Amino acid sequence: MNFQVPELGPIVPELILTTLALIILIADLFIKRKEIVALMSIASIIIVTFALISSSGTTFGGMFISDGYSTFFKIVFFINVILCVLISMKYIIIEKINYGEYYSLILFSTIGMMLMASAADLIVLYLGLELMALSTYILAGFIKHETRSNEAALKYMLLGAFSSAFLLYGISMVYGLTGTTDIKTIAAIISERGLEGNSAILLSIMLLTVAFGFKIAAAPFHMWAPDVYEGAPTAITAFMSVGPKAAGFAVLGRVFMVAFASIKIDWATILIIMSILTMGVGNIVALSQTNIKRMLAYSSIAHAGYALLGIIAANNEGLASMMNYMMIYAFMNIGAFAVIIMLRSEGFRGEDINDYTGLAKHHPWAAALMLIFMFSLTGIPPTAGFIGKLYIFLAAINAGYTWLVVIAVIFSAISAFFYLRIVMFMYMREPKDEVVLTTSAGTGFVLGITTIAVLFIGVFPSYLLGFARAALAGF
Amino acid sequence: MILELFFAYFAFAIIVLSIVVITRRNPVHSVLWMLLLFFHIASVYLFLNAEFMAAVQLIVYAGGIMVLFLFVVLLVHIKEEIKISKFIGAWSAGFTFAAALFVVVALSLRSFVVAPPGKYTIELIQQETHTKALGKLLYTEFLFPFEIAALILTVAIVGALVLAKRRLKS
Amino acid sequence: MKLYVLIPFLPLAAFIINILLGKEVLRNKAHWPSCLAIIGSFIISVITLFDVINGRVINEDLYTWIISGKFQVSIGFLVDQLTAVMLIVVTCVGSLIHIYSIGYMHGDKGYYRFFAYMSLFVFFMLMLVMANNFLLLYVGWEGVGLCSYFLIGFWYEKRAAADAGKKAFIVNRFGDFGFALGIFMIFLTFGTIHYAPVFSEVKNFVGHTVNFLGFEVDLITLIALLLFCGAVGKSAQIPLHVWLPDAMEGPTPVSALIHAATMVTAGVFMVARCNAIFSLSPDAMIVVAIVGAITSLLAATIACVQNDIKRIIAYSTLSHLGMMFIACGVGAYAAGVFHLYTHAFFKALLFLAAGSVIHAVVHNDIQRMGGLKKYMPITYAVMFIGALSAGGIPGLAGFFSKDEIIWSAFASHSEVGKFVWIMLTAVAFFTPFYSFRMIFLTFHGKFRGTHHEEHHLHESPNVMTIPLMILAAGAIAAGWAGIPSVLGGGAHFAHFLEPVVGHPEFHGTHAQEFGVMGLSTTIALIGLVIAFVFYIRKTDIPVMLARKFKFFYVVLFNKYFVDELYNLIIIKPTFWIARKFLVGFTDAKIIEGIVNGVPKAIGVFSNKLRRVHTGIVHHYGIFMAAGAFFIILYVLLWR
Repeated sequence: MNFQVPELGPIVPELILTTLALIILIADLFIKRKEIVALMSIASIIIVTFALISSSGTTFGGMFISDGYSTFFKIVFFINVILCVLISMKYIIIEKINYGEYYSLILFSTIGMMLMASAADLIVLYLGLELMALSTYILAGFIKHETRSNEAALKYMLLGAFSSAFLLYGISMVYGLTGTTDIKTIAAIISERGLEGNSAILLSIMLLTVAFGFKIAAAPFHMWAPDVYEGAPTAITAFMSVGPKAAGFAVLGRVFMVAFASIKIDWATILIIMSILTMGVGNIVALSQTNIKRMLAYSSIAHAGYALLGIIAANNEGLASMMNYMMIYAFMNIGAFAVIIMLRSEGFRGEDINDYTGLAKHHPWAAALMLIFMFSLTGIPPTAGFIGKLYIFLAAINAGYTWLVVIAVIFSAISAFFYLRIVMFMYMREPKDEVVLTTSAGTGFVLGITTIAVLFIGVFPSYLLGFARAALAGF
Repeated sequence: MILELFFAYFAFAIIVLSIVVITRRNPVHSVLWMLLLFFHIASVYLFLNAEFMAAVQLIVYAGGIMVLFLFVVLLVHIKEEIKISKFIGAWSAGFTFAAALFVVVALSLRSFVVAPPGKYTIELIQQETHTKALGKLLYTEFLFPFEIAALILTVAIVGALVLAKRRLKS
Repeated sequence: MKLYVLIPFLPLAAFIINILLGKEVLRNKAHWPSCLAIIGSFIISVITLFDVINGRVINEDLYTWIISGKFQVSIGFLVDQLTAVMLIVVTCVGSLIHIYSIGYMHGDKGYYRFFAYMSLFVFFMLMLVMANNFLLLYVGWEGVGLCSYFLIGFWYEKRAAADAGKKAFIVNRFGDFGFALGIFMIFLTFGTIHYAPVFSEVKNFVGHTVNFLGFEVDLITLIALLLFCGAVGKSAQIPLHVWLPDAMEGPTPVSALIHAATMVTAGVFMVARCNAIFSLSPDAMIVVAIVGAITSLLAATIACVQNDIKRIIAYSTLSHLGMMFIACGVGAYAAGVFHLYTHAFFKALLFLAAGSVIHAVVHNDIQRMGGLKKYMPITYAVMFIGALSAGGIPGLAGFFSKDEIIWSAFASHSEVGKFVWIMLTAVAFFTPFYSFRMIFLTFHGKFRGTHHEEHHLHESPNVMTIPLMILAAGAIAAGWAGIPSVLGGGAHFAHFLEPVVGHPEFHGTHAQEFGVMGLSTTIALIGLVIAFVFYIRKTDIPVMLARKFKFFYVVLFNKYFVDELYNLIIIKPTFWIARKFLVGFTDAKIIEGIVNGVPKAIGVFSNKLRRVHTGIVHHYGIFMAAGAFFIILYVLLWR
């Protein structure tokens, strides 16, 4: 037997995180105060961040790649974890689900996302996706005593399994056509065997599109999102709306831009249709929502539509603007969810938009922060959301999709209705009865970080975009 | 020729059996039909010279998981659920789109060209035995996915425990 | 670290400190950050001025905000001679007004808010003058407009103040729309929005035409006129002048800073900055000169019959702004900027002195004042100086700048030069007349208010009078920087600005120059004397004149009925149409259909679409399958 230990350098962050996640899982048995478990998971993310900086290269026979692209996304995932864990600490006590497994599942899910971002092989991609998804299914159903949450988990799992079937079918077909699952080799074999116009390869791409579209909640594969986002614990909704979506975009970018680069025109057409549908459904249905979590679910669908423009542009500029958008979205969306979580208190859900009536009177700070995040989600300068959209749109225009950008801008204008409606409720109406805010150091910290990030990126956007561009060097 | 006929039988039977499994109202019947389905799948593996897979299919699925299913079905009070008249609303729409999807997939697959075979030809597998070849691959070339699968199983166990375990109500 | 960068950012820091801490922590000490910041900016501006005098012109991009393909937006500063002058004006006058406000706004419940807005205003104003590209200029332009809106409506409980704020905002939208179009045209034409390449390449576009709304128009004229639209709005020129007098509802320091010394002069600054564009379009220049001349004369005549002390000064401001545009229109940009600079001093002085008067009598009506001389000697003295300077009495600041404009109009090659010169000479009569009418009615004679009011009369505190005295010194001496060569001066100001705005070619002899100067001076003195006769010696003459020439009086008193005209031709019809359609055609749902219908239709559609989300997993599965089917079908057919 010729067994060689593969080079572990590039994969050190994943290894460390897995080890630490398992340690936390066991340590949870002995730790009474679950806040310590939460802090341990944040600490482990910080340790992994240091490991991440120095890791690069490919390993396991080219199945795993650590490059700038994956590193950028991993940083998005880390930010997502840290912020979501911080807003969870108090929240899960209120929801009476203060168990340590919560945090280790978040970490496992993150490992899955990291594997997706680094996957250079379709099998690793699939397994990473399942690891991420399985952990999220459980987290979505974490509030066992609430039907809503159970329902969310079950729906998510059933539909997730359905989409996995599409993914596997697509992967198997690609394997049948090319004899490989390695993303780089697929591209080589497609051009070598002249498969560009083959309808079977197009079919497999479409099947992959269905599965990835499901993960990023793009219409018409978005149906799960509102129900699941509404039912899941709010902190997990925040987690899900950023992490899995970013991971979905990471694989979408890598698979389509590397493996199927030669068939750009075909998948771009489909993505254009999907993107228009997604922006349309997300923005229009959000108008008639009264539950803020559900509204943000549709908003998250709409944002997937905007970000798709970056992939449609199909060049490094487009990818960079998409990555930029993901980072910005992480900050502004989690910020908004942090405010929502503050409204949740013992015996008060605070999810109906009527609960925001006159918030500015009693809680001017909370209202002001919500205002910033709503402005950012709408895309009003000088917030980060404006920058994100601007770069995405500019990239699409430079790639020749001006008409598509016009549509996106129209939908973006429609979105102002429902985002600013929250602002109007908070500022222009008299409060009915006083809402008690649940504040904690964690939430306060998250609000501080996200607000600063949203404003800083809005005013000084070139650092982040420069980082995204640099990450794409050699992609 | 005879091989193809056998394959055609098994493939067709798998589809029919799957439909039968999901349309039974009595869960116990469903589970028993599924047992039959698993045997057919195992047979297909045998056709593909994958005797280890066939054995695993029988031992793990038919032997282990099946029994678990039966236990669950018997433990849960199932009688009430049987009364639900229609499992799927709008099944006609579902059927239509499933059929339509089948048609377009079939049409697309007309231009399917099989890739040249890899290094594991049938002869090589027969010579080296399937079990050995599979084991070698799993622990060398596919070590990484294998380890991820292990992690997925860990998460599955954790999740099952988290969701099933009764906690203190406070 | 480049020091000059601090100039705009000190006030910004003061704004942030005030908005965060003002309400709870600083309270009645809220003036400290704002005042320190602007004084700091002033000191740095002086240092920068000396740098520029020594030939160090700065033009650099500090930070590239957005870069995408050809499109680039950067935060970059251009500090040349023109900017240096503007910096001194804004920060010097601004500092004095800030200090004055400590006394004036004392005890107001929005004290911290006032200083926060003032600092924010100064920040935007400085960005406006320091920008090295059109987009940053536009940001500053809109920013000062926004702050002006906040500050006019500062006492928003007062209906008139809130309305005036709204009016200023809406009227300015008309101008800004043209301005934004102009910047857009510049980007389309030159592919960049940075000053330097635009100004150096503009001469290559002479003679190009462009199709605008179906007409073939000269490209440069179009750009110049669109930019001028913005200037007309911001600098309150006819026909968009109606907002400025109403803006006097804001606190007086605001009127002094924003509506006299700085923001309203932004239009003049912008035209001077874009002289490379304007100079290439004789048609646009004529429009600028004519608009300026008409505004100048009409405003001056209106000012003669108004009774609100602040409105008189506001119309005077309009008139002086018109003169600055005349200077630009005849190509004498340096004269325009020179007048901008002297005007900032004497007009801020007049406003602040008026504020001091209002502080004492608590109303604005000069008919109910009189005899304040003995109660407020300092205020009287400085306001007298201000009026002398504004009236163009020889030796004071206003004289030199005004004289230069009048001479430029006379001597220029402009086709309308002589015409505007005649109008300017008429203005030269009215300016001292209305200024001294105001002085005499306010300070001389007997007090005409109530007994209770008389009891209240007092001189303002030092914190208000000291800035007044400094400004008075400025109103006397500021003009000495630009004494023309015929009077033995060096015309240093014009020479200083020459690298930026060039040197206009005049034809005319020294004798002619003396003649023109003598004529306008004589006319100004006549105006002063008539005011003296009318309002001190024979106080029955104005009443008699008003009765005899009732028509003129009513027309002037009602400001040529422009507000009424707009009400009649714009506001009324708009409301009429709106009401007619809303009431008359509600059933037909025309307006309803458009205004409410579109969002409503989206809402209905939204509701329909929402129903698709039944919450039943099977349906979702079917949807996914259907989606997959359609995209595969599409690809199958499309290939």
